[in-house]
Amino acid sequence: MKELSRAQIRDLMAQVLKNQGKVLPADDAADLREVGFRSLDFSELALRVEDETGEELNFDAPGLRRIATVGDVLDFLVELQRQ
Amino acid sequence: MSDLATSALSVPPSSVVLVSGGSRGLGLAIVTDLLESGVKVAAFARTVTSELAKLAEAQPDRCHVGSVDVTDLAAAQAFVRAAEERLGPIDGLVNNAAVGQDSLHVHTATGDIARIIETNLTAPLQLTRLIVRRMLGQGLRGRIVNITSICAQRGFPGLVAYSATKGGMDAATRSLARELGGRVLVNAVAPGFFASEMSAVLGQTQLDQIVRRTPTGHLTEPEEVVPVVRMLLREQTNINGQVIVVDGAASI
Repeated sequence: MKELSRAQIRDLMAQVLKNQGKVLPADDAADLREVGFRSLDFSELALRVEDETGEELNFDAPGLRRIATVGDVLDFLVELQRQ
Repeated sequence: MSDLATSALSVPPSSVVLVSGGSRGLGLAIVTDLLESGVKVAAFARTVTSELAKLAEAQPDRCHVGSVDVTDLAAAQAFVRAAEERLGPIDGLVNNAAVGQDSLHVHTATGDIARIIETNLTAPLQLTRLIVRRMLGQGLRGRIVNITSICAQRGFPGLVAYSATKGGMDAATRSLARELGGRVLVNAVAPGFFASEMSAVLGQTQLDQIVRRTPTGHLTEPEEVVPVVRMLLREQTNINGQVIVVDGAASI
């Protein structure tokens, strides 16, 4: 199965934000609330990753609660692809 | 992550709308009306009637039709892909396909109860999932209109399983509106009974009784429902998560 790297997911995340006139900071520790990256943006990003890999990514909502930073998003999606 | 996903950005009018069950009755009226309003329409039904086929033949670049059973998710997926290739990305959905019921609950075969739930509740939820995934994946905003029924709110004999599915879709409408955070406006339109819906259980006597209790003095016609569907798909209103009853106040 094709898997996207952390850097590739970061590029997609930047695109999702750019479409809304927002900018993805270089710092992985940046707070998502400050970036303006919301739960539906996460869904959009996950769907973009699915489009690239051809694999459906399904997950329960509680898993998203611990996601607070840009790095958390990237880690979560890298990990999710391996499950 | 924050779920305060409300956005100041508004949802634009839908320009390419998928209508399930578009071959006759209210579905066909919705397809016809949307095409006349300049909207591109993809419509499927188990059987493509000559009326629907004619619409597609007359406007091949604006109307895509096909024979799909709404419970066949793979077929629906293939139809959506083909429709988007011809018309562009779908940014509107009308969940209209449904099967009726005309049997008292105790005399309805268990297999028929399962079929009604699969067609009227499971299938539209899956079609909605499919379309919303495509909308979000492309960064699109869009609108969904679920066609439910007054049966979801008021009781009628012979329509127990049917009512359960329609109530289910009304409930899903509210939760979807919340979950989709204003990126997709989700509403339901609940018509009263159509004159064409006379059945063995809901016979002429019952329909006459409904008419007598209706302030506007007549049963609902598809033409009276269509403008409400069009408004929800096209107008800037901030209506979201609502069920709009179109029944002449029969149920009030």
